[in-house]
Amino acid sequence: MHKPILSLLALAALSASAAPASPRHGDKWIVGMSQCNLGEPWRVQMNADIRKAAEAHPEIELVFKDAQNDTLRQRSQIEEFINAGVDLLIVSPKEAAPLTPPVAAAFSHGIPVIVLDRKVLGNDFTQFIGADNRRIGRAAGDWAVRRLLALPRVKDGGRARMVELTGLMTSTPGQDRLAGFHAALQGQPVDIVFSADTQWLEPQARAEMESALAVNPQIDLVYAHNDPAAHGAYLAAKSASREKDIIFIGIDGLPQEGQVYVRQGLLEASFEYPTGGREAVESALKILNGDAVPRQVTLNSRFFTRDTVASGGKWLP
Amino acid sequence: MRPPVARRWLATPSFRALLALAFVVVLGCVFNADGAFFHWSTHRDMLRQVSVYGILACGMTLVIISGGIDLSVGSVVGLCAVLFARQTLHQGESAAVALGLVIAAGTAIGLASGTLVARFRVQPFVATLAMMVFARGLAKWISGGQKISQAIQQPDGSFAYEDLPAIFQRIDRRILWGNLSVVTLVFLGCVLVSWVVLAKLRYGRYLYATGGNEEAARLSGVPIARTKLLAYGLSGLFGAVAGICQAAQEQQGDPEAGSTYELTAIAIAVIGGNNLMGGRGGIGLTLLGALTIGYLEKILSINAVGESSRLMLTGAIIVAAVLLQRRGNA
Amino acid sequence: MPARLLALRQIGKLFGSNRVLEGVSLDLNEGEVHILAGENGAGKSTLIKILAGIHTEYEGAIELRGRPVRFAGPRDANRAGISVIHQELSLIDAMSLVDNIHLGRESALHGGLWLDRKGQAGRALELCRQLDLDFTAADLARPVEQFPLSTKNLIEIAKALAFDARILVMDEPTSALSRAEVERLFALVDALKRRGCGILYITHKMDEIYQLADRITVLRDGRWVGTAPAAECPESRLIQWMIGRDLAPQSGPRPDAAGGGTAGRVLEVRGLRVPHPLPGRPPAISDFSIAVNAGEIVGIAGLQGSGGAELFQGLFGAYGAVCGGSVRMDGSPFRPESPARSIRRGLSYLTADRKASGLVPAMSVEHNVTLASLSRVSPGGVLRPGRERAGAARQVEALGIRLASLEQAVGTLSGGNQQKVVLAKWLETLPKVLLLEEPTRGVDIGSKSEIHSLMRQWTSAGMAILLISSELPELLLLSDRILALHRGAVTAEFARGEATPERILAAAMGSAARASEGCA
Repeated sequence: MHKPILSLLALAALSASAAPASPRHGDKWIVGMSQCNLGEPWRVQMNADIRKAAEAHPEIELVFKDAQNDTLRQRSQIEEFINAGVDLLIVSPKEAAPLTPPVAAAFSHGIPVIVLDRKVLGNDFTQFIGADNRRIGRAAGDWAVRRLLALPRVKDGGRARMVELTGLMTSTPGQDRLAGFHAALQGQPVDIVFSADTQWLEPQARAEMESALAVNPQIDLVYAHNDPAAHGAYLAAKSASREKDIIFIGIDGLPQEGQVYVRQGLLEASFEYPTGGREAVESALKILNGDAVPRQVTLNSRFFTRDTVASGGKWLP
Repeated sequence: MRPPVARRWLATPSFRALLALAFVVVLGCVFNADGAFFHWSTHRDMLRQVSVYGILACGMTLVIISGGIDLSVGSVVGLCAVLFARQTLHQGESAAVALGLVIAAGTAIGLASGTLVARFRVQPFVATLAMMVFARGLAKWISGGQKISQAIQQPDGSFAYEDLPAIFQRIDRRILWGNLSVVTLVFLGCVLVSWVVLAKLRYGRYLYATGGNEEAARLSGVPIARTKLLAYGLSGLFGAVAGICQAAQEQQGDPEAGSTYELTAIAIAVIGGNNLMGGRGGIGLTLLGALTIGYLEKILSINAVGESSRLMLTGAIIVAAVLLQRRGNA
Repeated sequence: MPARLLALRQIGKLFGSNRVLEGVSLDLNEGEVHILAGENGAGKSTLIKILAGIHTEYEGAIELRGRPVRFAGPRDANRAGISVIHQELSLIDAMSLVDNIHLGRESALHGGLWLDRKGQAGRALELCRQLDLDFTAADLARPVEQFPLSTKNLIEIAKALAFDARILVMDEPTSALSRAEVERLFALVDALKRRGCGILYITHKMDEIYQLADRITVLRDGRWVGTAPAAECPESRLIQWMIGRDLAPQSGPRPDAAGGGTAGRVLEVRGLRVPHPLPGRPPAISDFSIAVNAGEIVGIAGLQGSGGAELFQGLFGAYGAVCGGSVRMDGSPFRPESPARSIRRGLSYLTADRKASGLVPAMSVEHNVTLASLSRVSPGGVLRPGRERAGAARQVEALGIRLASLEQAVGTLSGGNQQKVVLAKWLETLPKVLLLEEPTRGVDIGSKSEIHSLMRQWTSAGMAILLISSELPELLLLSDRILALHRGAVTAEFARGEATPERILAAAMGSAARASEGCA
């Protein structure tokens, strides 16, 4: 159904900003979505959000590709999208540097590109949509400090003791969630008495929390870089019958994970890391209809506590 | 001069495995994390943590003794965790039916690997590698790529919440006044079953003979194909049991559960002193290997050793343990 | 007085607390064949491994041309001009003949980076010519696994020569060779002698010893017993040295087995056809018929490639249900299908290669002995250690297997005892018909005669034996009848008394003169 060479020549003539005003594939816009991996629920959720947002727009046809956490595979999948002549490309890249050239190639072929969640280098894309992990980490930190300062023991001049269960510390989200949180702890009477890398994995978090409990008779709060890790920590505390003495907070706030844990009262708070799926589809429609869009969109996040989870959470201040 | 009996005992693989374990335990006594290592709860938690790996290692031991290897067990954990969660949480099946179904599924995956190996003479590495990929795909397909948990997505996109069935709590709890996890008991049960198979049944002897010299065994009337088939089948069955334990402990079925667990299971078998070439070894060695790995992880964890050092130390200690074994076999 | 190439002085060796060699001295002159003899377990292999640089921890000293040396490893020994041709071949199956010959001593061009393929091939061709091996250049490039075992043995020798070895150690080099190949090897040994090489030669075969030996040294239980020029060491003395006692006189031909008739007929084969194990070849056995009575030993004589091994494998069901023709056991039809089935029907098969297909080396003696009869000792699939132990102990006793304990790994036993363990395994299946392929290969003289008298004992108890042996004297000594097999078909049958080595050999070589008498 495509004539790649012809389309490429035709597309090359178009300027990057001047997006097509009418669908080139019959009456439908073809939108390619290159996902770096579907091993994490959060990314599955991103795809689900995109699919759901697009349901309301029958003029969009989505094509999903999963790079299975392989940079080179994602690169070739983007090139396949270029060759197929999609009308718009949404990319959630695995890594910035190696995926910059194919994204730029798509862009220079006149395909508008929306980059989701993780950035690429340079300026050869139409829009970046992402949330700010550092800001979310900071918000979690501020929330934790407020909550800890309210403890009677801390009020009386004691210091709060907490455990941090990090994500994979070689990943940017892990580093940012740590940095933001630690910034909030500056000058506060809070000690991190145990810290371990859970690599985002629940069983690992549970085992690490067991160790934390074995070494520390007093733990006031557990901050986990994702909700599954917070859940694992909770299960560990529960089997030591110490879950009542500890506050658990996590990040991601997915409806089937973090929000459930908050609802069940396992976590006191979960901070949403929005997927941007809905926003990406909205932007895509604007671009395809020829409207201008900002180059960068930073997503606002919500956070869920027991009181607010039923009503859809509260936006971060 | 030592009496010869003691001398012979010192040269046995069991003693070497015990030595490796003792070495790690001594490490724990030295780096005891302010006495945390001396509390029973630390040991109890270690035993819980190592149980899923250990269950897989039981099946792995049977396969390794038969001269093969089973790379698919990690994926079987994922598949069976998902299946168990789906049947109990989403389909609302009774625990007994779900358990039966999941164990049948895991066994079927194992038998499929076994058929490839025994009947079609595919190399075990290749056959179970294929099965590892296939079973992982199956797990993702069944689960739709999502964790199967108490939150159930409705057609309109909202979520309904199921209560956790009692079977989850029953598996993920402790007995003996909180001193032993049920999953540890399951692990020990698997060790016992494997021991009976290897030491008490004719079939166990067939496993050793097949792994030790397949041609000699065949000419002695040992049913080679059936022996191998059953080894992989049992490995799949143990994989299913591990998957159920995993799901119960996570309170959900994660299609990614058990990734790389096959490597840990192999490491346990090898550190215990089972010979990867087949024909030698025993389940006692695997038990010692599981304890060695379990203590190693626990000690690194209670001392909050950083991830990078942890990986390097684990690698170094595995090599040390295996070198120790080598001298034992010489 | 010829120059002394090598002297071993007071060599001793301990494995753990187990002494295997003590105070062994031996020397080797230029242009000499020095036979090293002794029963299995006497310490010959250990001595050679020390000489080859494989064992580096030992007592005593080695002198090469009067200069003391101590090898750090096999490479060291090679460089010093010592080459060992082991019983277990050291060729790499997947590599070409040329590469194997030059392995470890590749000749290189351009500063050592590039293999000198052309030069190597030329050299290999030259070596093969010296050995009278008519290989083409194309053959030299083929992987050695494509050659029969006998040729591999000669390739091994070519490899040793490629190393310019002055001292050659040959460890039972003829055990897998045909008569003609043995002759070729002996001619080669003569040529090597004339070139001034010293050859240390280990063998169990009496005729070889007296054909080759200049001097003979005997070891027993790790100790030196004696050294003598061959001319001064008659057979009786040699045997006495080896076993430390006089052998029971080689018993004469046994009395005839219970005569003809069909009453005691245990095995009847008609028109058996066994396809070749490799596809696309003519059948290994085309038309084989035989009737065997209880208590009979039927010898089958055949040279390499005559199809004897395939006959046994096919009859035993080792190839599956592929054979044509009809077989009856104990009067009722029997279809060879699988080893398990044959064993149940009372047919057992001892293969020629106990390492590859007889023993499970990592398992204990006890478990090896009971392996083929497990269904009997484990009713319901559950092992009965008591029964197993009793059965194994009974066999160990009956066959006179010398061991430290039943739990001992079978791989640690000497060759003769290992062979007896395999025999014990088959006896435990209570066979009516025993197929024995080379039952005394790689077995010391003492064990050999023990195995012979055991075979007589079993047949007098009613068992029937089909025997393949490449040693004609053994066949003649034991068999009631001898069939000669040539290219998968019987060319002659000899009754006891009619059989002479010459006639058998002629028939086995396919001589047109079919022996008219005694043909079934």
